[in-house]
Amino acid sequence: MTKQLLVTLGVVAVCAIGLTAQQQKGDVRTAKPINQSDLPQQLRPEAKIVKGYVPPKTAWGDPQIAGAYTNSDESGIPFERPAEFDGKKQADVTTEQLAKIVKQRQDQTVERTPGLSEFPGATSPLHWFENYRAANSRAWLVTDDTDGKVPPTLPEAEARNADRQRQRRARGAADGPEDRSLYDRCITRGIPGSMMPAIYGNSYQILQGPGYVAIKYEMVNETRIIPLGPAAHVSGKIREYLGDARGHFEGSTLVVETTNFTDKTAYRGSSENLKLVEHFKPIGPNTVEWSVTFDDPHTWAKPWTFAMNLTKVPDEQGPFEYACNEGNYGLHNILTAARAEEAEIKAAAAKGIVKAPSAQDPDEGEK
Amino acid sequence: MTRFLSAVGLIALLAGATASAHHSFAAEFDDQKPVKVTGTITKVEWQNPHIWFYVDVKNADGTVTNWAFSGGAPGQLMRRGITKEALKIGAEVVVEGFRAKDASNNGFGQRVTYPDGRNVFTAAPPNQQ
Repeated sequence: MTKQLLVTLGVVAVCAIGLTAQQQKGDVRTAKPINQSDLPQQLRPEAKIVKGYVPPKTAWGDPQIAGAYTNSDESGIPFERPAEFDGKKQADVTTEQLAKIVKQRQDQTVERTPGLSEFPGATSPLHWFENYRAANSRAWLVTDDTDGKVPPTLPEAEARNADRQRQRRARGAADGPEDRSLYDRCITRGIPGSMMPAIYGNSYQILQGPGYVAIKYEMVNETRIIPLGPAAHVSGKIREYLGDARGHFEGSTLVVETTNFTDKTAYRGSSENLKLVEHFKPIGPNTVEWSVTFDDPHTWAKPWTFAMNLTKVPDEQGPFEYACNEGNYGLHNILTAARAEEAEIKAAAAKGIVKAPSAQDPDEGEK
Repeated sequence: MTRFLSAVGLIALLAGATASAHHSFAAEFDDQKPVKVTGTITKVEWQNPHIWFYVDVKNADGTVTNWAFSGGAPGQLMRRGITKEALKIGAEVVVEGFRAKDASNNGFGQRVTYPDGRNVFTAAPPNQQ
């Protein structure tokens, strides 16, 4: 109860900061007094981390990690080590330092986003955000302690990605459905994209059965089947959006190795030769640390790893159905918007006026 | 007026190194064309990836225009305890938002209120009520 009250007061305080920032700009869109009932409530369990935690076993003897999870609280963590922590390792960051930087991030989120409001004139309804005021578990994501950075991409990868960009740019951002991202088209966010926190839909269901683990991702309604055991990956001729996963347990940690990716789901410029190794390590009764290692000698000179926490939520807060294609009018409307803009540009040209097309990124959502 | 941040920019800030929300606001709607209508709900499509609801709006000349507005995702709304019942056929609502770029009578329903000012899309998650 106390936590709920604090969270509510915190949201009020943060929104008050946003209001002040907008008023200073002479913007009166939020002149209406803030009504506390208009503000979103947050309900996220606190991670419980127990040193040396050993989870119970399933009926067939595997460590038990099944459950509904969220990582909304990991929103907004930068991949790389912020300059203020130069020379430090993740373990060097004190609780006080983490609390300070998390508060700064929460405040900056509001100050930088005058459009974030329930009030008239804003483009982003506050009630859409499940990751508002994220209580990050760490100061940055990359776990490699040498420099806390993602290794630079190799010249081979830069050339490959530049070529890919050229091919995309040869067409308009919305000439046809295929010009839009796989995310816009309700196909996939890829791996690890499907488990990266967004503003909503950050719910995952981990299911276990003898010989298998399955992970259901709310956004965009995908289920990944992970066979356990030593079986080899499928033929290299077979390529999949989510890759081909094989898992095993090391102690209580589920290790999943995924290969056979396509070049359509490149993550941070990775190639289809990416070998992705994930560790799902139970670190408390309601917390699993998810770490992801990228091993792709065609993209990075050395493997690199990031990690974040997944926190258990009650089953009723697990993934909701997200049958994305059922009413995806958005894709249609993006195309009709592009056609309308072309007509405007043509009409302007007939009058001797040069009108530039609006900048659009067809790859958004894949980053 | 300061140009509003698009949903994309906003998400980039909130989500940092992560993926964005589903569709780009800027690719579909025009933040320079705000729209505000009052009308009667005629149809609700409570479906993914965004709900759509339709509102009959009486024009000054006596004709009626059926507007279509896009909202959040059903799961996202349900987590806040908002169900399909929030939008009742025949109910009068005030919709404020932004018009589609294709100049159709489609829009982004940013804020939806009843005539008495109550916000349609505001509620706590069920286990906080």
